Amino acid sequence: MTIPTAHFWRFARTQPGFLFGLVVVMVTVFLALLGPWIAPYRPEEALPGQAVLPPNVDHWMGTDISGMDIFSRVIAAPRIDLTIALISTVVAFVGGVVLGVVSGFFAGARGLWALVSNAIMRGADIFQAFPLFIFALALVGFRGPSIQNVIVALAFLNVPFFLRVTRGAVLHVRERPFVDAARCVGGSGLRIAFVHVMPNALTPALANLSPTIGFSILLTSALSFVGAGVPIPTPEWGSMIAIGAPNMMTGQWWTALFPGLALGVTILGYALVGDGLRDYLDPTHRQ
Amino acid sequence: MRFWRYAAQRLAFLPLQLFIVSVIVFFLVRLLPGDPSYLLAGPFATVERVEEVRTRLGLNQPLHVQYVRYVLSIARGELGTSWVTSRPVLADIAQRLPATMELVLLAVFFCVVIGIPLGVLTAVRKRGIADRLVFGYGLLAGALPDFWFALIVIFVFFYKLGWFPGPVGQLDLTVSMPRHVTGMYALDALLTADWPALRSAVTHLVLPVATLTAIYMPLVMKNTRSTMEDMLGSDFVTYARAAGLSRLMQLRYALRNSLPSVVTIVGILFWFLLGGAVLVETVFAWGGLGQYAVQSVVNSDYAPLQAFVLLTAVFTSVVFLLVDLAYFFLDPRIRA
Repeated sequence: MTIPTAHFWRFARTQPGFLFGLVVVMVTVFLALLGPWIAPYRPEEALPGQAVLPPNVDHWMGTDISGMDIFSRVIAAPRIDLTIALISTVVAFVGGVVLGVVSGFFAGARGLWALVSNAIMRGADIFQAFPLFIFALALVGFRGPSIQNVIVALAFLNVPFFLRVTRGAVLHVRERPFVDAARCVGGSGLRIAFVHVMPNALTPALANLSPTIGFSILLTSALSFVGAGVPIPTPEWGSMIAIGAPNMMTGQWWTALFPGLALGVTILGYALVGDGLRDYLDPTHRQ
Repeated sequence: MRFWRYAAQRLAFLPLQLFIVSVIVFFLVRLLPGDPSYLLAGPFATVERVEEVRTRLGLNQPLHVQYVRYVLSIARGELGTSWVTSRPVLADIAQRLPATMELVLLAVFFCVVIGIPLGVLTAVRKRGIADRLVFGYGLLAGALPDFWFALIVIFVFFYKLGWFPGPVGQLDLTVSMPRHVTGMYALDALLTADWPALRSAVTHLVLPVATLTAIYMPLVMKNTRSTMEDMLGSDFVTYARAAGLSRLMQLRYALRNSLPSVVTIVGILFWFLLGGAVLVETVFAWGGLGQYAVQSVVNSDYAPLQAFVLLTAVFTSVVFLLVDLAYFFLDPRIRA
């Protein structure tokens, strides 16, 4: 799967939502790399005597209850949020694609592999009986709140998702003539599945990478919001909203508003990139 | 007749599903590093207490023996004791369940009565102003964190406008609880004609239910729109139009045929709302099951967490079962 650059930009130019999403992704990646350094204040520093200041020239987004500069924290947060989301999504992608290829390629076959294929699907069914956030909460809860455990929980949760979209694609691809051809020259089942079928069935999973990263950021911040994720002084959007929550009831709107906006724009951007990529990679979706 | 056979088949599968769910929850706790008896006894437990928990739970016995004991104790309704509330978990859950159910059921109700008409409207008037507005709203609602949106709603409607009470739970502190009938305060107040309590309960319900509806309604709307769109473009509607039936009749046909898929989305809505309710309850200090679960996580209170996960999985399994049955009932092609 190659992306011809000129062609790609000609496509992107006609899609304002996709362009907006691309900008969001680039900004978050930039902030994840440099955010803590370009922040005007140190993100975890409580400035003495400057608690709950409304937005002003020195503090563009105001300060929170302990006098930490909200703007600095908002732009420092992608480092932790994006890292968690990226690692967990990539792990889930790899696990989901491998399981999806196996379960799709051997679906309806006979023997041991058919059993494996069925077992994978039933396993996915049962894990998805747990509401997503509650399952994440339980996984982190049983293991204890920490960044590592959030990554483990999210990676685990997103596997069935990649599994299903890959399996769907594999079911189509395995019927194509080149797969029969590979079988005729004597390729073994697993080899055909991973060498010939998998590369041609990656598109849906790839298109879902970006929205899943966005969704993982949302889950990370939700876990942190209830105190089961990233511990408190670390700049993270969800825990910032938690810090600002009591202030919202007494009128200091800036404490929770800005981290929430950053979160919303980010999730929206990653979702739009996913939509755009899907349309780009799959010409039948193009208008 | 076919329906009952199908229902029996699906019902027969339910125990197997619940069995596997119980195994997963069992191993979630057992496979952790460290000794679960410390976890289950809580951080302030003495050495004797930990020893007592270990013997009582039989943690020194083989895993399969442990599992049988665990299932038997669930069957007897013993879900352990919370070290935070020092009450049996079952009693805690029974007390908090109605509050969560009230929230979730009302949110489902509003998502359906607002989402379905909007979905139909936008499917009929494709690319109209309403369609565009609603599309943008759907996109936004999918990206906004519900717990953050709840805070914004509180800021606007409680702090700024003062129309509704703040996030202090289900009733004003000055209002006495309605007599217990179902445990759902608004419903109990209505049933016992306790008007002050009813007023208080309803005003406290408005903001959390509105938050959940605003965030999760687009799910119903988008699904109804796409199904209706397919139906309106299908041959039987074209035939109805060709036969000269009124627009209203065509819509009725299309809507009737969209029902099975809409019912499915309502099942999924429950699944989403259970998770959303956990967060929204936390913001509104609702005192329901969701908040209980969050507190258990924060306090490392394992017995309630284990019970809560088990309960939600059982609940969603039952909801999905009902949805499948409704689907079967509504789609004559499967029924016949």
